Amino acid sequence: MTIPAQAITTRRIAKDVLELHVGPQHPGSGHMRFVIRLDGDIMVEVDPDIGFVHRTMEKLAENREWLKAQPLFERMAILDAANVTIGYFLALEKLLDIEPPPRAKYIRTILCEISRIASHLYGFGILGIFLGHSTAYMWFFGDREVFIELAERLTGQRLTYSFFLPGGVRRDIPTGFKDDFEKAARYIEKRLKEYEAIFMNNPVIRVRVEGVGVLTKDMAVRLGVVGPNARASGVKHDIRVEEPYDAYPELDFEVPVYKEGDALARFLQRVDEIRESLKIIRQALKAMPNGPIIHERYLRMYTKVMKEVLETQGRAKIPAAMINLRPPAGEAYARAEAARGEYFYYLVSNGGTKPYRARVVSPSFRNVLLFKYLMPGYRLADFPAIYGSLDYFPPEADR
Amino acid sequence: MGVIATLIDLLMWPPVFYLVIFPGFIFTFVLLIILIWAERKVAGRIQMRYGPLEISPRLAGALQLVADLLRYLTQEIIIPRRADRFPYFIAPIAAFVLGMLPIVAIPFSPHYYPIPMNDSILIAAALTTIPPLLTILAGWASNNKFSVIGGARESYLTAAYEAVILISIASIVLAYSTLDFTKAVMLQEQITWGILLNPIAALAMLVGIMMATSRFPFEIVEAEPEVVMGPYTEYSGIMYGLCMGISYVRMFVYNLIFTLLFLGGWHPAGLISTGSFVVDSILVPGAIVATKAIVLSLVMVFARSVYGRYRIDQALAAGWGFWFVIALLSLVVSIGVKAIIGWRA
Repeated sequence: MTIPAQAITTRRIAKDVLELHVGPQHPGSGHMRFVIRLDGDIMVEVDPDIGFVHRTMEKLAENREWLKAQPLFERMAILDAANVTIGYFLALEKLLDIEPPPRAKYIRTILCEISRIASHLYGFGILGIFLGHSTAYMWFFGDREVFIELAERLTGQRLTYSFFLPGGVRRDIPTGFKDDFEKAARYIEKRLKEYEAIFMNNPVIRVRVEGVGVLTKDMAVRLGVVGPNARASGVKHDIRVEEPYDAYPELDFEVPVYKEGDALARFLQRVDEIRESLKIIRQALKAMPNGPIIHERYLRMYTKVMKEVLETQGRAKIPAAMINLRPPAGEAYARAEAARGEYFYYLVSNGGTKPYRARVVSPSFRNVLLFKYLMPGYRLADFPAIYGSLDYFPPEADR
Repeated sequence: MGVIATLIDLLMWPPVFYLVIFPGFIFTFVLLIILIWAERKVAGRIQMRYGPLEISPRLAGALQLVADLLRYLTQEIIIPRRADRFPYFIAPIAAFVLGMLPIVAIPFSPHYYPIPMNDSILIAAALTTIPPLLTILAGWASNNKFSVIGGARESYLTAAYEAVILISIASIVLAYSTLDFTKAVMLQEQITWGILLNPIAALAMLVGIMMATSRFPFEIVEAEPEVVMGPYTEYSGIMYGLCMGISYVRMFVYNLIFTLLFLGGWHPAGLISTGSFVVDSILVPGAIVATKAIVLSLVMVFARSVYGRYRIDQALAAGWGFWFVIALLSLVVSIGVKAIIGWRA
């Protein structure tokens, strides 16, 4: 078989440059490939090659009912399921022109922040093992379990909650949840101090991350970086503040910002975010009003048995009309701040039971560019340090 | 009579017995199993998990390594098509065996050694420098970019740590004025342990050993997220098992040398006397030396629970810029020590 000449592209590699293919089968690559060109031990060029875990999520969403897109989109970043899907429901509620009752908003915010803490701890664990610190890896992953179990108490699921409904949530806060959370919060606050001793202030870790992978504020803005990575470079950009949704406008919290922009700042920024998240959940549990957890439009459709379940067990059943949801024709967008940055959802409805178009822009997709611009000039051994500090998650970028 | 008796005779012939059974291959192998098990158990304890437990739960998973090795034995050995076959095959095997070879020069008691020699310290130190060459060879023969990078890292680090280790050994030898392990230990029994005579040399050698055997924070050659498995990336099956064992064997051998030079060797053994030659001259001193070396090895593997890994340039800067200077300084200390104790020795 002959291949037409124009189908073959050749690329000239500079002399004395070693081309290294890291991934997709490599312990330090994740579900993607990096083409690294090395001059000695220095990286001169890094090409992130994405798409290895592309699952056509946007197209799949067009082929299933509105509500069934939730378990699908959760799989973009399964470790941060609540924050990933909240944007979809915000957009859908705009299409339906409804707003969830206040109690449901607070419950949503609580779950989102639990999810954020768990996701950050996951990212720390990856950074830990990339720097060869197996104890940090095990500790972070072990302590993440506390928040996964907290979410399980609330939603009945460890990771893929499928907890939100258009105009509400599936379950009310269980009894004793406040005490459980207080226990978890005290535990993680104690542990954060221990992490400082063994990981953050560990001299070996410190020299590996300090001044490595510096992202200047100017560059962060120019590349359109979002989330903790931007905030660690001095860009105060947080959707929870700029376009507040759910219970965030009523809660008092700060957005931690660091100026340094190196791997250490990105890590410390996330540590501060965990502290802020604990603050948010504490406030939300205290300020949470009583009332229904689902919009009255759907409450009216409830049968007697469904109402009984809601009142006695605090579980909101899904009425038949919600499965065959038909939002009026139109389009809507929503933004939400996930653990890794801003999620953008754009939905188009033609009045049918399925979305006409569902478009998602995920934070990892926007941050993947950093690999190309942040790596050159550093040593090969800095590659995992920078990668770990970016908290990049390939399935989220590929969708 | 015949073959079996001849074989037993051969095994009981002192040089063979020494190299194959105690403290040679079999003894080291058993210690290796205990050492790796202890490492994994201690790390598990720190890291909120059990460590090995599935195989032999009653022994707290102590047989896990044996099970792993049996699995390695039954695994297919895949040879890359482009590998240079002969060096590829020979490198890990030779590195493992040569890593154990310095034992020929290491006495376990004043009366128990394979070959009587006057320059045993020199021979042991010289033999420890061979395995890194074979590691570099393994990386080169694999014909894989990650292996080559790993081999290059090993070659840089070898130069850095070997200078530190050899100068530390030279400085303590200067203080003892002998190249014989037995005399060095006897001298320590008279005066005091080497670690007190020249603590700086001891410290420099400890760090050098950790660098030499890629213990954390110097686990740079096989850094997983960067170079997969370094020089051993292309090995599979029992060859991979051998590669994993090389650094442990080398660490144990280095620690034996350290024990004899700095920790007084079989020092308190002279206090025990039962009248039996085997107990007094082989078992008790041997157990003391092995215990000291094992405890030291455990301290070294414990570092992996506390530290991450350095970058290669940071490790080299530490090796040449700091520990090399410290090792040179220990020479001065030894001269001072010699001036003080010289009249006694």
